[in-house]
Amino acid sequence: MLSALHPLPKLIVCLVWLAASIAVFDPRFQAGIIALAALTLIFIERRSPLLVLALMVPFALFGFGFLTTATLFREESDFATRMAAETPFGSPAFSAGIVLFLRAIACGMVSAVFVLTTEPGRFIKALMANWRLSPRIGYALFSALHLVPDLASEAQQIRLARAMKKGRAPRRIPGPLETASLVVPLLAFAIRRANRAAIAMEARGLGAGPARTIVGAPRSGRAEAFFVVAAFAILAMLFIATSGVRRAW
Amino acid sequence: MNVAFSAPDAAPAVAWREVAVRYPYADNLAVGPVSLEFRKGERLLILGPSGCGKSTLLGTVTGLVPATIPAEVGGEVATLGEPAASRSPAQWSSSVAQLFQDADQTLCGMTVGDEVAFALENRALAAGEIAVRVERALERVGIPANWRIRRTTSLSGGEKQVVALAAALAQEAELFIADEPTAHLSPQAAARLHAVIGEESRTSLVIDHRLDGLIDMIDRVAIIGRDGLLIAEGPPRDIFRIHGERLALEGIWRPLASDLDRLLHGIGIVLEPPPLTLAEIIAALDRLSPGDRSAAGTVIRHFLSDRIAEPVPPIGEALVTLDRAACAPLFAKPVLHDVTLQIRPGETIALLGHNGAGKSTLGATLAGLLRLRGGTRTGPAGGFAFQRPETQFTEASVRAELQSILGRSSIHVDSLLSAWRLEKVATQHPFELSQGQKRRLALAALTADKRWPFLVLDEPTAGLDAAASDEIASRIAKIASAGRAVIVITHDMDFALKTCSRGIVLHDGSLAADAPLRDILRDHQLLGKAGLYAPELLRLADWMETAPC
Repeated sequence: MLSALHPLPKLIVCLVWLAASIAVFDPRFQAGIIALAALTLIFIERRSPLLVLALMVPFALFGFGFLTTATLFREESDFATRMAAETPFGSPAFSAGIVLFLRAIACGMVSAVFVLTTEPGRFIKALMANWRLSPRIGYALFSALHLVPDLASEAQQIRLARAMKKGRAPRRIPGPLETASLVVPLLAFAIRRANRAAIAMEARGLGAGPARTIVGAPRSGRAEAFFVVAAFAILAMLFIATSGVRRAW
Repeated sequence: MNVAFSAPDAAPAVAWREVAVRYPYADNLAVGPVSLEFRKGERLLILGPSGCGKSTLLGTVTGLVPATIPAEVGGEVATLGEPAASRSPAQWSSSVAQLFQDADQTLCGMTVGDEVAFALENRALAAGEIAVRVERALERVGIPANWRIRRTTSLSGGEKQVVALAAALAQEAELFIADEPTAHLSPQAAARLHAVIGEESRTSLVIDHRLDGLIDMIDRVAIIGRDGLLIAEGPPRDIFRIHGERLALEGIWRPLASDLDRLLHGIGIVLEPPPLTLAEIIAALDRLSPGDRSAAGTVIRHFLSDRIAEPVPPIGEALVTLDRAACAPLFAKPVLHDVTLQIRPGETIALLGHNGAGKSTLGATLAGLLRLRGGTRTGPAGGFAFQRPETQFTEASVRAELQSILGRSSIHVDSLLSAWRLEKVATQHPFELSQGQKRRLALAALTADKRWPFLVLDEPTAGLDAAASDEIASRIAKIASAGRAVIVITHDMDFALKTCSRGIVLHDGSLAADAPLRDILRDHQLLGKAGLYAPELLRLADWMETAPC
C-alpha cells in the first residue's frame, strides 16, 4: 500500500520521523517508533515478521556500541546521562545507553520502511521530475543499480570459471585470498561496463538538449496528502503519549 | 574535420573519405585509410574478420570516435550531409539510431518500458507520442505487453538484445546502425530484425556475421581486410562472386549460397544472376539440363556432407545424467523443471531454444557449475565456455593464458596461437583484445584442456568471423572423435547442423524435444513453437533427395 505512494512525500515523512527520533531522548518514544515501523511493514506491507526482526539485527548491533560506550565511558556521554537522568532504568548511564541503542534501531527501521516500500526507479524519476535532479546523475544512479546485481553475478561467474580451471568445486563462501583476487577483474568489469553504458547513453541522446521528457514519473494526489497528515498526526500523538507516560512516572 | 560535402538532398547517408583511426598508445591504425559512401535509402553491410576495425568505423559516424572514445581520426566523415563533428554524439541521436554489439552492458533504464522510451525522453517528445512509439516498437520486435514493467536486470542476454533493438527502432531515426545485432538473437528474433532492415526506404548500416536471411535485404557490401583497408565494395551478388575466394582466405563470412556457387563455378556451371540464397540456387538447378544437374549433384553432395553432421549412435556409459532436475541460475528461481537426459561419449549436441528459454542454465548445470533445486545429477564436471569470454581469463597475457593450460614450456602454445590466429596479440593482455579475439582465446584454452570428459560451449560463434567459426567446428569434430562429448548452445542453426548430430530443444520451462538434430529441424510445428527456423541447408538436402541427379 505504501509502495503505491509518491516517493517524495514518503521521503519527507521518513526524514521528519528520523529527526524526531534523534531529537526526542526518550526510550518509550523510540520504542513506539520501532513498533509502528515494524507493524507497518508486517500488517500494511505484508512483510514477514522474521524479515522485520532480521532487519533490526544490524541496527541493534550498531546501537549496542552506543549502549556499551554510554555504560562504560560515562564522561564521554555526559549530555546523554543528564537527559536520561529521570528514566526508569536505574542508572542514568545505562538509561542513556538504552535510549541511544533504541534510537539506532528506530532510525534503521524508519529507513527500512522507506527502502522496502520504494521502487528505486520511481524514486529516481521522482527526484528528476520534482527536485530537478540532473538526468546525468539520475541515469548514473540507474546504471549503478544495474551494476550491483551484475557485479555479484560476474563475481560468481569468475569464481565458477576459476574453480572449473582448477578442477574443483568452488567454496560456498570465498576465502580472503580468493576475495582479494577478485578485486582487479571486478574493477575492470565495472570500469568497462560503466564506459559502455556511458557511450550507449550518449549515443541515445542523453544531454543532447536542455529539455527532457520524463515518462512514468510518479504523481501525488489525495492519498499522499492523507498519508502525510496521518503520519504527522501519529508522530504527534506518540510524542504526547510518551511525554504523558514520562510525567506520570 | 572541416568538410563541405555536396548539397544535403543529394548527400550520401554516410561518407568516409580517407578515414583512418588510431587509438592512444597503439602502434598500428585500428582501421583505414578507408574511403566509402552510401546513399540514403540504401542498406550497406560491412564485412570483415574480427578485429579489423569495423566497429571503430561505425563509431565515427556519430563522432563517438573520437568525441567519447578517444582516438586520433584522420580524413573526413560526413553523416546525412553534415560533418560528423558538427554535432555531439548525443545530438545525432535524433537522426541516427544505434544498436550496439553488447546490449547486456548498455541498458540504462530500470524497466523494459523505460529502456525503450529513453532516447525519446532525451529528445523531449510529448509523453503521448512516446507512448505510441514505444508501443509500436515493442510490437514490431514481438515483445509481449506484460514485459513493459519487467526489470531489465531480470532478462537473459538475448532478451536484452531484443529490448535494445526495440529501443533503437522506437527512435524512428533516419539512419539505423547495427553492430552485430544478431549475435545473441534466436532465429525468430533475428528474422524480425532482418525484416526491419529490409523495410523500404530505411537507410541501414549493418555489421553482422549471420548472413543467411539478411543478405537478400542488403543493397551493397563493403569488405574490410585484416589490415583495416577496404578490399572491395559493391552489390552483394557481384562481391561474393568476384571476391568469394579472397573472402574465404581472409576468414570473412559469405552466404552459404555463394560458397556453393563458387564450387559450381569450378565445374563450369555458372548460375545467373549470382545467387545469394540457397532457394535461388535450387530454382536455378531446376532449370539446368539433366547432365549439368547430375554434375551439380555430385558437388552438392560434397557440399552438404561438409555442412551436415552425420548422426552418431550413442555409445558407452553415460558421462553425465540429469534425472528430473530443476535447474536455476545463480540466486534465482528454477527456470527448468523435470529435466531428464543423458550425455554419452562422442556425442555432439545442439542445445536450442528461444531467448530466455534456459539454455545457459541447463548448460551450466550439466557442467556441474550450478546446484540443482530438485532431482539429481550424476557424473563428473565438464568444461564450460562462458558467454562472456573475459570471465575465464586469469593471466596477464594471451600466451600466459594458454601456458596456464598447456604448461609453461609446452611447444604446442605457438601452434595453438597460430591455429586460432592469436600470434600477433600473444603478448597483449586478454582484456585488450577485440570481442572476437577474446572468444577465440577462451575457446582455444578450453578446447586445449584435456581434463574434461565433455565440454559445454555457450554461443561459441557469437561475434566470430568465418575462419574462427570453422576452426571451432573442426575442433568440435576432433574432440568428439576422441571420445569426449560437446554440447553447443547456439542460435546459429547452420553451425548446429554442421557440428551436432543430436538436438535438445527447450521450451516453456522444460525439454520440448531430445532427438536427432535433423529430425528436430524438420519438425516445423516444434520449431515454430520454440521460436526456431530450419536452416536453408536442409531445403537443399531435401531437394537432393527428391531431384533426379
